[in-house]
Amino acid sequence: MGYDTEVLVLGGGSTGCGIARDLAMRGLEVTLVERGNLTHGTTGRMHGLLHSGGRYAVSDRASATECIEENEVLRDIAGHCVELTGGLFVQRPEDPDSYFREKLEGCRECGIPTRALSGREAREIEPYLANDVKRAIEVPDGAVDPFRLCVANALDAQIHGARIETHAEVIDLLREGDDVYGVRVRHDSGPGRRTHGVPGSTEEITAEYVVNATGAWAGQIAAMADLEVAVRPSKGVMTIMNVRQVDTVINRCRPKGDADIIVPHETTAILGTTDEEVTDPDDYPEEEWEVDMMIDTLSELVPILSEARTIRSFWGVRPLYEPPGRATEDPTDITRDFFLLDHDERDGVSGVASIVGGKLTTYRAMAEEIADHVCAELGVDATCATAEEPLPGSENLERLEDGMDEFGLRSPIARRSTKRLGSRSRDVLETDEPNPVICACEGVTRAEVQDAISQSGTDLNAVRIRTRASMGNCQGGFCCGPMANELHPEYDEETVREALDDLFDERWKGQRHALWGEQLSQAMLNYALHATTMNRDRDPANAGPSALETGSESLEYAAFDAGEGQ
Amino acid sequence: MSNTDRPTDEGVPDEQSRDDGEFEPIQVFPEAEEMDLRPGADDCYKCSTCDTNCPVAEVDDEFPGPKFQGPEQWRLKRQDDHDIDESVMKCSNCMRCDSACPSEVPLSQMHNTARGEYVEENMTKLSREYLRNRMLANYRRLAPLGAAFPRTANFVMGLSITKWLGEKTMGITSERELPAFATETFREWWRKRGGPAVHDENNRIAYFHGCYANYNTPEVAKALVRVYEQFGYEVLVPEQHCSGTPMFANGMLEDARRSAETNVRELAAAIDDGADVVASCSSCSMSIRQEYPELFDFEGTDEVATNTWDAVEYLRVHEDLEAALADASVDDGRFEEFAYHAPCHARNQGLDGQTIELLELIDGVEAHDVGDSCSGISGTYGWKEENYETSMKIGKEMFEHMADADATAGLTECPTCSMQMEHGTGYEITHTLEILEAALVGTNPTAEST
Repeated sequence: MGYDTEVLVLGGGSTGCGIARDLAMRGLEVTLVERGNLTHGTTGRMHGLLHSGGRYAVSDRASATECIEENEVLRDIAGHCVELTGGLFVQRPEDPDSYFREKLEGCRECGIPTRALSGREAREIEPYLANDVKRAIEVPDGAVDPFRLCVANALDAQIHGARIETHAEVIDLLREGDDVYGVRVRHDSGPGRRTHGVPGSTEEITAEYVVNATGAWAGQIAAMADLEVAVRPSKGVMTIMNVRQVDTVINRCRPKGDADIIVPHETTAILGTTDEEVTDPDDYPEEEWEVDMMIDTLSELVPILSEARTIRSFWGVRPLYEPPGRATEDPTDITRDFFLLDHDERDGVSGVASIVGGKLTTYRAMAEEIADHVCAELGVDATCATAEEPLPGSENLERLEDGMDEFGLRSPIARRSTKRLGSRSRDVLETDEPNPVICACEGVTRAEVQDAISQSGTDLNAVRIRTRASMGNCQGGFCCGPMANELHPEYDEETVREALDDLFDERWKGQRHALWGEQLSQAMLNYALHATTMNRDRDPANAGPSALETGSESLEYAAFDAGEGQ
Repeated sequence: MSNTDRPTDEGVPDEQSRDDGEFEPIQVFPEAEEMDLRPGADDCYKCSTCDTNCPVAEVDDEFPGPKFQGPEQWRLKRQDDHDIDESVMKCSNCMRCDSACPSEVPLSQMHNTARGEYVEENMTKLSREYLRNRMLANYRRLAPLGAAFPRTANFVMGLSITKWLGEKTMGITSERELPAFATETFREWWRKRGGPAVHDENNRIAYFHGCYANYNTPEVAKALVRVYEQFGYEVLVPEQHCSGTPMFANGMLEDARRSAETNVRELAAAIDDGADVVASCSSCSMSIRQEYPELFDFEGTDEVATNTWDAVEYLRVHEDLEAALADASVDDGRFEEFAYHAPCHARNQGLDGQTIELLELIDGVEAHDVGDSCSGISGTYGWKEENYETSMKIGKEMFEHMADADATAGLTECPTCSMQMEHGTGYEITHTLEILEAALVGTNPTAEST
């Protein structure tokens, strides 16, 4: 029943996985628990921007400086997770000249390399920019795949001996007197790799030190031990386009505002975003006007967006935090800096710290600072190596580029697969077995899907974030079934069907916000395909065993909104 | 991405004040090979109807089909990627996917562009395949040689040693008979004839005869002239190059561009002189109407595309062709029963029904539609050694239907379809315009010898 570890990290987002990797590399014994799959919270719900720091160069120079430093580190250690797209801050005629100058000066002072471009030069780089854009500033923004980055950190932590438990929700933070000594978790399907159908269980995990890295949920976790962490969760919408309308990150160069960034992300482009405070990070409205505003406003920069199709929209919740006493009104004014809350120093409760605020680009630096703190608390003398040691998949990438191997695949598929797998390509893709393409939208082959299954069990959403299978323009219409089929014969039919249901539910969740035009045709095609080939048009009220077991007569619509892994 | 700091602020280039001349003005219309068709991939929702309509995919399991060649490949591509998959060279450019798509994805435009990029970036310019394809694509440049000495050329081409050499050295299949050159080209005949027999500046057509009707089947071109003159049209025969069809199909977009530039210029001038453009070859009209505006933007491209017609279609729209044919009869043993094949490129223009409808009206002529399959030759495609077998597999359905039809002669509007029909059945193949000539002008046109 009891399990004891040296350091327990709560939260499988970029911060938690970064901390787990850092501590594991320093030789500590680490356990990480996450209630969903990795990236389930905010990490998997961001726009994929690898900041150059340009966005903060006027308002928050400390963050900007940190961003450009970490941007350069990630290019080295996480080459297979980032794409050096470059970025532009684009000024429209109605945007203030003064701000353009401030942006240039700010970038210069923060050490962010820039180049000022005329509107014409900017359009040479991105032909779909509006004809009347006035000027632009080129910065080294990039794109980062948060899923791949997070998984690579977790994988490396495991390689260094860490235990990573997904689908393990913290139901209690264990406190005795003024000491927090562990947690109780509920395993969705037993400990270890997820297997649908295995009955749930609870486990008590004790630790010498607990790190609460649950971001927007940090307040809820802390409250379990009667600690107060005043996170101010703020939601933002992101809309995914079917193709890359741009190959460069496009920022609007004006003081602040919603809908001011387009990030090329893998085969798609992601439009973002809004910034609105919410009370509960698990329950907030997802509204149509937010999506409309993304498309309308960003079409001012890239007009073809108004005609292009969106394949889904999703909302993420920023884990914003303000130290007591600041009381900023507008969430856009809350600092993006991160805070390490040492509850011993703050509340007189030992054995636990919370980490709040921050952003994905600087996850490694945050993790380093926390790991330093944990080592100091535990009296361990070990230095951080995460800025130098490449993540699994990012070793010797130059050599990989030179000797680009096709592994018997068609060239665009080989290119995308190799980009995703990095230096693991040969291990994963070289096979004597038939290796058909499972997901044609993203070019994912059986070998890559099987590699993901070997890491994550029957959790097809975990396969999805590792491979991008089902994340393309048909949103899993053609590949969800074949993906589930890959679980067989290792897993039986009932298990495979449950895994498929989970994947379908998750894919449908975001598509609900894109049902017009071609994407509506797509949804109808998917519906017809699944109805005719898998009888999925049966009455959903009679679909799952849960409805029978609970005897409930009406559908629980709220369940559809609860997200992945239900 | 530059990593060097440049002086900021005062160094910000301003659109107006900038005149150091180092910047080329942005090309409003980028070169076709640099076209970015990713936005067009937007419209594909993967229903796969194009794949089920692709004649190559039907017989070749290795060919991934138009959905992959088009929207999927463009979606997976990055701006700086140049590795187009080689399978694009297996596409025959029949363009049936264009008509099949319920969502108006510009499939053949994507294929043409991808093929152009593949040939430019991935094919060695000294390879046998490149040279062979370049030669086949530029038939118009070789044909004048053959046409200058037609009897010698036909004799040499017919020799088995020539065919053997063709296959061994160039990869041109020895299975096929090279098309015979006419002893007199259409343009030679036209010059000798002294040009048009009817003059009417208010009623003009400009005839785009293409290469085949000029060098190989001038009887088709002459039939067009006589039928149009019968309706009172003044026929212009402007200077012209190859329509570009074989060049698109071989990814030789630069060659196609040069030819198209001449054609657009000459045809636009004819349009300015009051003419509409008509073509007797269904691939020529297809190329001018659809591919030119998709791939090029010379001045007048759209105007030429809008004013170009299939020769029979034009008469159906502008004249009471039905009434004229209803009164006509043909009493000539050569024109009785036909097995009719609608070429893919006629089908794509929505013209696949017109020939059967028209011939039903003519007393003494019977045409049997052999169905909607592709003939399989697709221009130069079936001439390549490596494609011969695929080409014949695709054509099998048409051959069988021709054999089953109550006819011993073939009929079509596409030169290479007619080669395939003849090759697969041994039938003599006629062009629809020749029947219209027989019905409307008479069956003894040789009376007008010059």
